[in-house]
Amino acid sequence: MRLKPGKVFSYSILVTAVFLAMFPIFWTISTSIKTRVDTFTLPPKFFTFTPTLKNYQLLFDYDGFWKIYFNTIVITVFTTILCLLVGSLAAYSLARTPSFRGRSSLEILMIIVRALPGIIIILPLYNLSTYLGLYDKAWALILIYAGFNIPFAIWLMTNFFDQVPIEIEDAARVDGANNIQLFTKVLLPLVAPGLVATGVFVALLSWNEFLIPIIMAGENSKTMPILVASFISNRTLDWGPMAAASTVALLPIIIFTIAIQKWLVVGLSGGAVKE
Amino acid sequence: MIALRNNKRTKISSAKPTTAFTAPTWILLSLTIVFPLLYGVYLSFLNINLGSFVPSKFIGLANYKLALTAPETYSTLLTTIELMLIGLLVQIPLGIFLAVVLHQNLKGSRFFRSVLIVPMLLTPVAVGLIFRFMFDTDIGIINWAISQAGSDGPNWLGTRNSALFAIVIVDSWQSVPFVMLLVVAALAGIPTSIYEAALVDGANKVQVFFRITLPLIVPTLLVLTMIKIMDFLKLFDTLFILTRGGPGNDTTTLGLWTYKTGFIFLEMSRAAALGVIILIITMPVYLLWRKASKSVR
Repeated sequence: MRLKPGKVFSYSILVTAVFLAMFPIFWTISTSIKTRVDTFTLPPKFFTFTPTLKNYQLLFDYDGFWKIYFNTIVITVFTTILCLLVGSLAAYSLARTPSFRGRSSLEILMIIVRALPGIIIILPLYNLSTYLGLYDKAWALILIYAGFNIPFAIWLMTNFFDQVPIEIEDAARVDGANNIQLFTKVLLPLVAPGLVATGVFVALLSWNEFLIPIIMAGENSKTMPILVASFISNRTLDWGPMAAASTVALLPIIIFTIAIQKWLVVGLSGGAVKE
Repeated sequence: MIALRNNKRTKISSAKPTTAFTAPTWILLSLTIVFPLLYGVYLSFLNINLGSFVPSKFIGLANYKLALTAPETYSTLLTTIELMLIGLLVQIPLGIFLAVVLHQNLKGSRFFRSVLIVPMLLTPVAVGLIFRFMFDTDIGIINWAISQAGSDGPNWLGTRNSALFAIVIVDSWQSVPFVMLLVVAALAGIPTSIYEAALVDGANKVQVFFRITLPLIVPTLLVLTMIKIMDFLKLFDTLFILTRGGPGNDTTTLGLWTYKTGFIFLEMSRAAALGVIILIITMPVYLLWRKASKSVR
């Protein structure tokens, strides 16, 4: 087979893009297993260094590391569940009923949440937190995360409900199913793949969330992004442990990504790409 | 599909899910969004400073007057717009380009797509830190690579222009895959018969792209532009990690300036007023977004 020049060009573009996309990740992982001396050496050592786990040891020994990691998982899981439970109901009405009381206000509110810098909402919340006891509480973080992410979830799930043929619903209605039965027994199983895609998306956003916890979380409810960010407030930038913390924060995402490739593309593109 | 849609409209009379189904969402959004927003408006008329023990009192529009006369409000708004424009100019064309390359359905393009979307999933805080390390003037790999090519790299995060550029680079690293993904989807929706007709008429590839492909994906590009505008308004994590708005306030956006006013200078009420101002000046974005997203569906 002869390679056309056009193909060579295309492949060289793609390979370059993959290199640019992957190098920072490679560099993080490689820095995380280097000694301090190797980190500061120029020319940089790409492969010719003796790996060490010292940075990870430092990180894991850090008081509260496991608590932070566990806390991030708990907040992520509960936010995702809350968004799916509450959001799927709203998505169902938005997909099936062209007009009902409060529809356009809900849509506008969703856009505001999507477009407005979060600080505008978090700042008054922080002010209120002293009266309401919201500060540094995991349950409060879960509620706020869910409030911030639910517009995404609804928007995405509306697309999936849209794709279910109305005939299926009509048939179930003829058989005497009411709205609730129809929703739980007929529709939810049909949109299950969409729910998975949405869940993945919300979980990613929650795992990565930074603005909400940096203001609303104290010592008790700190999350991984806060821990990772704390490495720059130190006077001496400790790149090794920082890279280790980043790796630990990124690894679940990368593994997760590979495991659920199929749903991810559907979810990330807002239902635009279908596998 | 069209038949299905019509069918949907005619049978709408039966019991449909309505307001009741959105009640839980309303409760959640009222607690976490509406109430804080309204409370923020209330705060903006007071004189709360977290650092002082003076009891708060109502001071009318004073915070707004201050915000509208302060040079920082305008310089940070300008920075926001600058970042937005450079970002759009870099990310949209690059995303389209990669999408077109992927769309040729070469062997392995699924693999390439899967690998290329990874950056958009990663924690922005961690990404910011990694790039900060790579942008380092002394030990950063980027300036080392530039020096290998025989020239001196800039002090990336030390001067305004290069810092803005660095911020756009980091944001693009995470955003170009998203643009690419949506454009790939839009390209896949164009019937191949359109291309065949054009090729029969003797058009070359470049003509086909600019005369046929590009006009057909305009709705998607509009939505993408709106999403990116909103994202630049919200930009916080990478900015906070990379420069914290520095040097000085040189890379501070309006959103970050609100954060600084509230949580560094502790001027809660002034920050709340800035928040209301941002809400008002971004109003066109909401209206446009509604229009743009409807045209795609």
